[in-house]
Formats: sequence, structure tokens, C-alpha cells
Amino acid sequence: MSARKIAEWHGAGLIDAGTRDRLIAYEAEHARPLVLWAVWGIGALAIGLGLVSVVAANWEDIPGLLRLSVHLALIAGLAGLVFLREGRLADRSPWAVEALVFVTAALGLTFFGHLGQVYQTSSPLWQPLAAWLVLFAPLLLLTGRGWPTALVVVGGAVWCAWEYFDAMTGYRISDWGTAWSYWLGTVLALPIVLALAGGGMRARSQRPDFWRRMEQLALAYAVALATAACAYASLGVFGQQGPLEIGMATLGCGGVAVLTGLALVAARPGTSGRMAGSIIAGAGLVLMLAPEVDDLDVPAALMFMAFWTGIAAAALVAHWRGVFQLAVGVIAARLIILSFELAADLLTNGLGLIASGLMILGVAWAAVRVSKRFAPSSETEA
Amino acid sequence: MIRLARLAAVVAPVLGLGALWFQSDRTYHTGTEWEVPIQGYDPRDYLRGHYVEFQYDWPEGEYLGDIHYEALCLVGKAPTIERVRWLNKGSETCDHPVRKNPGGVYRGDGLFFGRLYIGQERAAQLEEELRNRDQRGIVTIRQREDGSFTPISIRFRPLTPAERAERDAPNEGAEDLRPPPPIMSQ
Repeated sequence: MSARKIAEWHGAGLIDAGTRDRLIAYEAEHARPLVLWAVWGIGALAIGLGLVSVVAANWEDIPGLLRLSVHLALIAGLAGLVFLREGRLADRSPWAVEALVFVTAALGLTFFGHLGQVYQTSSPLWQPLAAWLVLFAPLLLLTGRGWPTALVVVGGAVWCAWEYFDAMTGYRISDWGTAWSYWLGTVLALPIVLALAGGGMRARSQRPDFWRRMEQLALAYAVALATAACAYASLGVFGQQGPLEIGMATLGCGGVAVLTGLALVAARPGTSGRMAGSIIAGAGLVLMLAPEVDDLDVPAALMFMAFWTGIAAAALVAHWRGVFQLAVGVIAARLIILSFELAADLLTNGLGLIASGLMILGVAWAAVRVSKRFAPSSETEA
Repeated sequence: MIRLARLAAVVAPVLGLGALWFQSDRTYHTGTEWEVPIQGYDPRDYLRGHYVEFQYDWPEGEYLGDIHYEALCLVGKAPTIERVRWLNKGSETCDHPVRKNPGGVYRGDGLFFGRLYIGQERAAQLEEELRNRDQRGIVTIRQREDGSFTPISIRFRPLTPAERAERDAPNEGAEDLRPPPPIMSQ
């Protein structure tokens, strides 16, 4: 709401001078400088990406020793700045600290690539990623203030887990031991545990926004994993004995998610915490059960829709408007896909095409109605 | 307490990266340099990003098919390799062993494939050189006593008359070994 608008209302005689002043004071106090946040966030992201490509260009004209020295000195300088000036910078703008920490972490990650170029060390990507997480996670967890750093932590963990999975399965397709599959599944699910850290810390920390984002991102990862497991079941991937034949791995994966979900319910009292924990635990159940409905059109689709209906119900209880609308949309889309799975030949004649077109419109209309009628009013997010 | 944790959180990354740097530097600069001919590069997918990928053509090493040994032994006086001898697991003695690294990017194929990171400009030059079939690629590796090795540079020399004759001779046997193109097997 702009002050100009409020002044206009006063000019039109809609509000008196007192109301005008109170409105302006209220707005000034509660303004969320969204543009400023976006500028900081985008700026930090751009610098991070720029660093990656500058290092990737590999300037051979500059001696390796000099390049690496400058690189490490930059990291040390920024880390020192974070240590000495964090409080003062945060008072002025939390986003300055956020951008600073983000850029420091990005510089740290590119240092590994830089070392590889200068010293010709080529190792599978998960190794430098894991080393980077170990070295930089403490800094990120202690100073992160918003979604960019939360994304770095959760995204880094997810990336590392999948790179590890990829490296371990790429060359060994035949010798799947049970214990080994469990281990790989567990590794894939480990980033979900960050939801517990986020949920547990958000009430205690002075940086609740960071921990809240971390919980949300880890929850989104759990939902994405369960959704992917449903998609694999629909496609019949679990029966193919390939690297994605992770029936056992899924059990390890699902176990971690269920335990995390239950722990989150215990760790964060309140409706929102209960619902977030339930969604994660539900995702774990779906991960464990997905191989059972492998290659079965209707049961696989039903499992998918049951999971997302659960998410919609949780969103309804916890008053997460956006999540509820997303869930309704996802279920509607899955219904439409199911209709094509069941009756692919419908598309071969004109009448069938008209029927499926009408059905799509019907589902879309119903979804919009449900979304509008039942969506909770927007309150605090998950 | 929290101040100490924050101090540790900013010092750990710098020290950790510094230690990694130190270790990489020391590893890189130890070892004996050997020159290994390379082959099998394909200019189309040879340069992926800013590294070159190549296949080692160990001199006088017999073709082993699917048998993957853990290591091979370089015979000769550095930097010239006269021939190589394949080693069974640690059973034989060898002065200059070269061992594959199961944790490396090429895993089991670490003795057959290698990569060398190069700069953006050099990559374009090298791609040009690789199109020239009258040259032979040579990679210098640094081999250490424990059998680990690192490629450090790449250069080209013109083919010798003997190599040229071998290249131009019709090689029926090799033709037969090639798998049919994907379109034929579908």
C-alpha cells in the first residue's frame, strides 16, 4: 500500500487526517521491502553463478598459485567480514549478511573446481560436494537469514546425495546387496532430516525465517521424492532391475522419512508442526509402499492421489492456502493423466477426443471450484 | 560459547580449503614424468566443457579384452616407456607401478581413460589440432611410488612413417570388431 494512495483517500474525503496518519505509520512499520529483498537475492545468485563461470573459464595465462591465492584470500576476507561485522550489517539489512554468506559459500564451492583445474585432480562430484558441505554448513547454519542460504544447505545436501547415488550405481548394476541398497536409500533420504533441524530451531533461534525456509525446503524434497516414487510405480520402473530398481533402497529411504516426520511432530508442537510432520511421514509411507503397486495403473494413481489428498487435508487444517491450491491442481492433473492411461485408444477417434476434452474441462472446473470454495484463508505459512 | 562456535565456523572453511590446497600441491609435484601416447579421441565429444578426454595407448601392452587388472608396470627409462607389463594384484614386484583408482571418475577404467583440464582458449586450439590425423597425441603423466598418477600436459608430434603406413593400411580385422550402428540393431 503506497502513501500516495492513502493521501488520495484523504483528499477524496474518505478518511480523516488522523486515520491517514495512523495508516501511514502502520504501513511504514509493517512494510516488507520485497523489491529490496529480491535485489539482494538476485544479486547474490548472479555473483555466485558468475564466480562459477569465471573459474570454469580457467585462465591459464595467470599462474595457478596466484589464482588460488587470490581465491582463498577472498574467501578468508569475506569469512572475516562475516565474523567481525555480522551484527552491525544485520541491523542495517539482514539481506546484506545473507548475500555475503551466500557469496562466501559459492566461492568455497568453486575453490574445489579451481583446485581440480590447477592440479588435475578429477574425483567424482560427490566428494568435493561432501567436503564443501562439511566445511561450510556450520557457517551457513550459524549465520543464514533467509531462503538463499537455506536453499544452499538443502540443495547442496540433495545434490550431494544424488551425485553419490549416481556414482555408486552407475558402474555397478549387477551386484546389489541388500545392505548396500538400504544404505543408498538412506543416503537419498538424509536431506529430509534437515526438516527436523529447521522445525526444531525456528522457535528458538533469532533467525526464524532461515530455519522455517529450511524446514519447508526439506519438506518439499520429501514430497518430491514420494511423488517421483509414485511416478516410477506408474511407469513400472521398480520391476526393471536397473539402478532405479530401488525397492529395497526405497525402504531405507522411506524409513528415514517416517522417522523424521514422527520426530518433527514431537519436536514442533502446534498444528503447523503436526501437519508438516504428518506430510513427511506420509511421504515415507508412500516411498515404502510404491514398489508394491509397480506397473499397476489404478493402484499407483490412487496412491499418488491419496498422498496429495493428504497434503491438501493437512494444508486445510494448518491454513496453508497456497499448498492447498497446489495440491488440488496436482490431483486434477493426475486424474487427467489417469484417464489417458486407462483409455489411450480414446484419442484415436473423434468422439473419444471430444469426450476426453469434456472430461478435462470438467476436472479443471471442479478443481477450481474446490480450490475457491474450500481453500483456507491465507495465514502464516508452513 | 556462541562466539567460539562462530569463530570456528569461519576459520574451518579457510583452514580446510588451505589444507586441501596444500595436499593437492604436494601430490601434484611429486612423482616421475612419463610420456604416454594416447588415442581414441573423437573431436566431436572429445572436449566436454574445459577438459580433454583421452584413451591411453600403453606401448606394447597386449589387448586384454574384458580382463581388468588392478595395475600395470612401466618398463623403460623416464620419460620414455619402452613397454608395459600388466600386474596381478600386488603379487609381482615393479619399480614404476601405475595403479587404477577405484574412487576416481573413471573407476575400473582408470588405466584406460584420462582427462586433462585446460583453459577455454587452449581448448579451441586443441580441438583444431585433434582434427589433424597426421599427428600423434602424447600425454605426460606424473607417476608416484604408490602407483597413483596424474596427467599434467598434452602435446602432439607428427606421425612416424611406420605409424603412417599402419594408419593407411586397410585393416579388415578392426572393421569386423565394430558393433553395428544403433540403427541396424533395432
